[in-house]
Amino acid sequence: MAPAIRLGAREVTRRFGGVVANDDVSLSIAPGTVHAIVGENGAGKTTLMRILYGLDRPDAGTVVVDDEPARLSGPADATRRGIGMVHQEFKLVDELTLLENLVLGHEPTRRGRIDWRRARGHAEALAGETGVALDWDLPAGRASVAVRQRLEILRLMYREADVLILDEPTAVLAPPQVAELLELLSGLRDGGRTIIFISHKLQEVLDVADTVTALRAGRVTGTVAAADADPDSLVRMMVGESVPEVRLQAREAAGAAPLLEVRGAGVRDAQGRDRLRDVSLTVHSGEVVGIAGVAGNGQDELVECVLGLRRPTAGSIVVDGADVTRSTIAQRRRHGLAYIPADRRRDGLSPTSSLLDNVAAGSQRGAELTHRGWFRRGALERRAARIVERYRVHCAGLGVPAASLSGGNQQRLILGREMEGEPRVLVASQPTRGVDVRGSAYIREQLLAVRERGGGVLLVSEELDELVALSDRIVVLARGAVTGVVSGPFEDLTELGALMTARVAV
Amino acid sequence: MAAADVPAVRPGAPPGSALAGALRSVGMSLLPVAAAFVVGAVVLAVTGWDPISVYRVMAREAFGSTARVESTLAAATPLLFAGLATAIAFRGGVFNIGVDGCFVLGGLAAAWLGAALTGLPGWLLIPVCVLAGMITGAVWSAPPAFLRVRLGVDEVVSTLMLNFVAIGLASWIVNTLLLAQGTANSASSPVAPQAELPGLGGDVTLGLVIALVGVVFYGVWTRWSASGYELRMTGLNPAFAQTAGISVPRVVFQAMLWSGLVAGAGGAAHALGVVHRFVDGFSPGYGFTGIAIALLARNGAVGIVLASILFGALASAGATVQLFSDIPLDIVDVLQGTIMVFAAVQVVDLRRRIRRQAA
Repeated sequence: MAPAIRLGAREVTRRFGGVVANDDVSLSIAPGTVHAIVGENGAGKTTLMRILYGLDRPDAGTVVVDDEPARLSGPADATRRGIGMVHQEFKLVDELTLLENLVLGHEPTRRGRIDWRRARGHAEALAGETGVALDWDLPAGRASVAVRQRLEILRLMYREADVLILDEPTAVLAPPQVAELLELLSGLRDGGRTIIFISHKLQEVLDVADTVTALRAGRVTGTVAAADADPDSLVRMMVGESVPEVRLQAREAAGAAPLLEVRGAGVRDAQGRDRLRDVSLTVHSGEVVGIAGVAGNGQDELVECVLGLRRPTAGSIVVDGADVTRSTIAQRRRHGLAYIPADRRRDGLSPTSSLLDNVAAGSQRGAELTHRGWFRRGALERRAARIVERYRVHCAGLGVPAASLSGGNQQRLILGREMEGEPRVLVASQPTRGVDVRGSAYIREQLLAVRERGGGVLLVSEELDELVALSDRIVVLARGAVTGVVSGPFEDLTELGALMTARVAV
Repeated sequence: MAAADVPAVRPGAPPGSALAGALRSVGMSLLPVAAAFVVGAVVLAVTGWDPISVYRVMAREAFGSTARVESTLAAATPLLFAGLATAIAFRGGVFNIGVDGCFVLGGLAAAWLGAALTGLPGWLLIPVCVLAGMITGAVWSAPPAFLRVRLGVDEVVSTLMLNFVAIGLASWIVNTLLLAQGTANSASSPVAPQAELPGLGGDVTLGLVIALVGVVFYGVWTRWSASGYELRMTGLNPAFAQTAGISVPRVVFQAMLWSGLVAGAGGAAHALGVVHRFVDGFSPGYGFTGIAIALLARNGAVGIVLASILFGALASAGATVQLFSDIPLDIVDVLQGTIMVFAAVQVVDLRRRIRRQAA
């Protein structure tokens, strides 16, 4: 007889130093269901998943497997009990093919040698069962994120896991890929598997989950059937109150001065392909201009040209009246350009460096922090403390490494640093990616604050809702070219959607 | 986790874990040393020696008397230069392996001028020679720096190769153009007496002071100057450094040049202070020991001093231990090599992995 609880937690408490990550958490996951765990950054979701997967042990309470209390000795033990986990960062070997990655560590052998024919048979069977088609001979490093994620899931199934834990699987995917993943998960559930699914995005949770459990500050604040829930009620469970939606107040920006002008910008890559074609746009004072488009349609190249990370092969960039096409990043920053990068751990922070060092970035030659090339320690500490306080960066001290902050706090630190000196033009790329509901609302407010005081914002986002809520105008990019410019208010999103997939004559 | 409960830091609060962090990094550097001595003990025991008594003899030979301490410090002097030169490059994320070549050519330049400009007084001649060594070292680093920055040529390969070119070039010059009159062996004429660095007792010369001043300045500079900050950020995360407006190619280029400059100064100090001329085989691989020192020190100023003294002690003890006992000199090589290996493995990562498996 099937157990009532395939996997669960009973009164689990886990502390790290003085911080309670999980506080008396009980959770029951029925077999053959999709169970979503929602909560803000730092609510304890990942800790709970690590405990369920045997990566961490509770200080009190116990894990439950098949209705029985269980002491997982480690991930290997969890794997033996049919529990598998897909981490946020994939654990694949880039140099090996998808097939080699699939069987890695559990290769079928014949007389001591790997039996590739049998491995391929397994792979094809799994692909057939899930309806996933993969090019098995492609090196994993060359596969797209969506394919790599698919492979991670198949790998768990290859190891005969029937409970799949997925830690924020949709954070790395574009909207159409999200839909495909959710479909795959529903299919696996219908095939009898149990899915535990962590997410920030409430709509997809409601789309795919049977049951939703919300965590807040380490405690369970509710478990509801998805059919009885709506985004509002989930937010209340996660945050304890409803978060007001941040939305700009439309107004006429007539006669406002242009702060950022992109004139006929083009980027041709080393292979001679046009990544960006004759893109022109203007951000005026007191205006937010959104860039919409499916990922990889020229947004990154546009941002890189504006910031100076890449020199356009055609056209020019003008910031506040000055042509900066040939200027360095430092010179552009002196013209009042600020930047919130999409990949915050790579471009936005030095994770191993202290908060002080991270706060100094971009101002290391400025008069406030340095004098004749030497840092003024007091000034740096004051600035860091001011940013930490004003932007509510929760940290154990200014000397701790940036990596010790949660994702939302890292983003607030970057935001605070870039807002220092009141930038004329703020370029924000995916500013709320991976940031929780309340943190996102805060960041959006700050973007609008730049607009309010007469600055300009160039906002690149893959979340259409965000663009629609914050932008005065939206410029749509497809295949590196502008396919349309739409001014708010944005009543009908079908027009934007059509422009995003439009083909332009070359 | 429950982030709201962690208080935000107030201005003026001390960077909390600075002391703990320093202790941890010292521990991290001691680990490879301890491991090396354990391995050395095993080797000694297997070959029929009593490790404890051998180590005791070595410790006495390195630090047992004023004369022995002086000898250790003298041996540490070129290593300080080499370790510092390597650390400057490593801090900027540049794996400059070419310190040895710069050291040799810097020594050659200083020895040549020291012997040629006999008319100059010492207070002028010494700075001129040291400056010549610095410039030579920096110039020798420029081609690989340029190749790296402009064409993306891997500096590990180019600088490693240039070491052999430098050593061969110096050997050719000293055997032809600068060969001292009446000597058959490859040595240049001795430098003028006033070009010799003043001694500070035993074999210790002014070179030690120059090296220590350099290391102290390096420590302060990387910590508190804007250009030192740019060097650190470039080494830790070049993509981030770039978006912060730092010209990564320029920082990398300058780090290579400064590295060569310090190495050249080390060569000059060695030529003027110790050898008093240039000879073939001028550097017994100081540049490579410098790599071990920089790794062991994790590019920190205090660590460079301690690691240089450690390797200096091994060298000076090794030289005399076999005079008074039949302990093989090879044990010193075993210790040095093992320290290098353990310093090179990222001990941090190893520890972290072990802890994760235990959890």
